[in-house]
Amino acid sequence: MVLLRVAQGDERAMEQCITKFGPLVWSIAKRHVQDHSALEDIVQEAFTDLWKSAKRYNPAIATESTFVGLLARRRAIDFARKESRRPQLEPLPDANSLPHASIESSATLRCESEDVRAALKELPEETQQIFSLHFDEGMTHPEIVEKTGLPLGTVKTRLRRGLIDLRNKFRRLDSGQSPSNP
Amino acid sequence: MKNQDTSDRFEELEAGRILGDLVPSEIQDWKMLSANPSNQADLSLELAAAALDAEFLTSEDTVLPEELLKKLHNGISEFVKAENEDTVLPEELLKKFHNGISESENDVIVRPTRWQGLLASSKTAWSIAALFAVLFVAKSFVEKTPADPGGLMATAPEKASSSEARKILISKAGDLIQSEFGGTENYNQMSGTVVWSDALQEGYMSLTNLPANDPGAKQYQLWIVDPGRDEKPVDGGVFDISTSDGTAIIPIRNPLMVTNPKAFVITLEQSGGVVVSKQEIVVALAKTS
Repeated sequence: MVLLRVAQGDERAMEQCITKFGPLVWSIAKRHVQDHSALEDIVQEAFTDLWKSAKRYNPAIATESTFVGLLARRRAIDFARKESRRPQLEPLPDANSLPHASIESSATLRCESEDVRAALKELPEETQQIFSLHFDEGMTHPEIVEKTGLPLGTVKTRLRRGLIDLRNKFRRLDSGQSPSNP
Repeated sequence: MKNQDTSDRFEELEAGRILGDLVPSEIQDWKMLSANPSNQADLSLELAAAALDAEFLTSEDTVLPEELLKKLHNGISEFVKAENEDTVLPEELLKKFHNGISESENDVIVRPTRWQGLLASSKTAWSIAALFAVLFVAKSFVEKTPADPGGLMATAPEKASSSEARKILISKAGDLIQSEFGGTENYNQMSGTVVWSDALQEGYMSLTNLPANDPGAKQYQLWIVDPGRDEKPVDGGVFDISTSDGTAIIPIRNPLMVTNPKAFVITLEQSGGVVVSKQEIVVALAKTS
């Protein structure tokens, strides 16, 4: 558990963390940000966050890679939101201004890689396809529309409901049930 | 809309928020629904999305650019140093803050320059980069607080559930921080406590004899001093006091993670809250250390 050692201020563990999770953080950042120098900043900021936040990592709540992924995701999405606002002379009060949820102990989703795969297979085939295009191939919604011919609303709905469905399956896995049990 | 329908709608919008695909009308809906205490988002959907990212994007083929890898490894000592500096800052900040409140009996306003001057101290490149990112986030998050068209933020309906949630937090949190609020001169009749848990990222204020505000004109806003996160206080949410009598339990709505907060500060701001407080009206302060 390298994060637990990072939480204790172990700089050597932080080096291992960078080696272990650097590619994941880099990949997540690349999904949301095109500018290379900004990408580097985001990766550095994500690891700064990790250094500061590692003491709040609870192995019972999430795997290390999920925890790191969450921090990287937040940094990258925050940056993307900022970029989307930049051309505006005045900030749009309603756009790109939504807060992250607070951490709660009830939000336990400690699913391993095989659990994720198992839960994904339980999703409807059409949702699996859209998930693969979005999360695996990194396609944007318009790109998925172009690829599949589906209306944008359908793509959005399937992604959103698919994420909720998947979260529910993860929860059931966490509680020791089959992901398909109601 | 029935409760279940409302809850389902909020959850779908929450998924859209995490996926980053909300359109403006949905953002308005999300804001309105998220103000309802019964629609408390947890981290589970975001964790699910992060788990998917980790599953799909963890590849042995991906390598970091060599230069970046060097920067990261070289940067470790920098942000360790930055964190150590940060741990020293709060006391100084709070000292200044207190001086700002007490140095003149007629001046309960902590002038912006005091805060800003203090915050102008040099930092490492890493912490500066992080600061800009966080400042943007803080700016955008403060803008989120909507007017209350449906009365969803009214104190009364929230009171019972927040009170219960506060009791539960106090009973279950192993790392509970508790501190007393002290009102500034014009608010010296008020009293209150704040409870906070880092582990649960949850906290509540219990505020007594705080004057009722007109939500259309002014609203109270909480700021959390978390030097480990940022030098500038983090937004803790806008709230209203509907009656000056009695005690209101106000949940802390921190959009950003907060760790080891050094102080909680209540200001009175324009309706909807502000991006960066000018601290023109500082209402109360609670120090935690």
